Amino acid sequence: MRLSTEETVQRYGDRLFRIAFNICRNPADADDVVQDTFIKYHSSKKEFDDETNLKAWLIRVTINRAKDITLSFWRKHKETLEEYVETLVFEEPEDSRLFEAVMQLPQKYRIAIHLYYYEGYSVREIADILKKRENTVKSQLGRGRMLLKEMLKEEWDNES
Amino acid sequence: MNLNERYQRAFSAVHTSTDYYKGAKQMNTMHKIKLPKAVAICLAVVLALGTASVAYAADVGGIQRTVQIWFEGDRTDAILDIRDDGSYHLSQKKKDGTVREEGGGGVAIEPDGKERPLTEDEIMEHLNEPDVSYQDDGTVWVYYYDQALDITDKFDNGVCYVKLIHDGNELYLTVKYRDGYSFSPNRYISADNGN
Repeated sequence: MRLSTEETVQRYGDRLFRIAFNICRNPADADDVVQDTFIKYHSSKKEFDDETNLKAWLIRVTINRAKDITLSFWRKHKETLEEYVETLVFEEPEDSRLFEAVMQLPQKYRIAIHLYYYEGYSVREIADILKKRENTVKSQLGRGRMLLKEMLKEEWDNES
Repeated sequence: MNLNERYQRAFSAVHTSTDYYKGAKQMNTMHKIKLPKAVAICLAVVLALGTASVAYAADVGGIQRTVQIWFEGDRTDAILDIRDDGSYHLSQKKKDGTVREEGGGGVAIEPDGKERPLTEDEIMEHLNEPDVSYQDDGTVWVYYYDQALDITDKFDNGVCYVKLIHDGNELYLTVKYRDGYSFSPNRYISADNGN
């Protein structure tokens, strides 16, 4: 199966932007990453088994591109993370604290945490997307959770 | 509210305002404009093919016609519907009886910056470009007109370079394993710069 590029953008634009931002921590770089992902999709004639397969491909391309950009000399860095966070409208104050805590995690933990808690992927599925062993993903999730717990203290205990 | 719900609520505050669809259409077309010689050669090939094979059918929405295209090494009939905005929809009956649907298209950007819908020739050119297919049995194939090449064992460090020839015209294809492909009539595109 294959969705039109327009429909794919509508369904996955924001979702991929969140993933890219999670890695780049910069909205301009995240935009570039997602744009590159959709250009790749648009110019490819790749067929997918189903939408789950399509989504996993888009996420994998986004993550790989975002990692490349974070290593690149040509990063835009027009806006700092702090400046960007100030523009976001969170429903509750604790949402802002959780967001900022996640952003302080090392990149490898952020990716695993986001795929697990936002995208709802299992450890096995995350391992497949990231091309890592399941034990590595479990370890990254465990360490990420531990760091979040340290940063959020009672808030984490009350709600997790 | 559990942590999953709270995490999702927190990150739902992050949105983009970028029109990725417009960007994808433009970049895809600008790539073609950078290679005018390549486009001219390919169009000449496609025009000859198109003239011989196009038969007009019922006009539904856009201009719908029966065309012959190459798919996985076989020349097959397909219904091509080209709409006014340059988008297309292709419906093709495969050898196993199932129907394959494909859509795409977009706009071209003229040198003066104005957009125009893609023409039938440009869409046909796109449909006849090389295709890379990953099969369920783990093999990797390149399809180009009547050619079907098994490149499964040709990858070196995740990259495979294939020289394709059709009607005396050469095309240099760079395939990154499960990570896209790119081609040029002049040289192999570096795997670092490809899709």
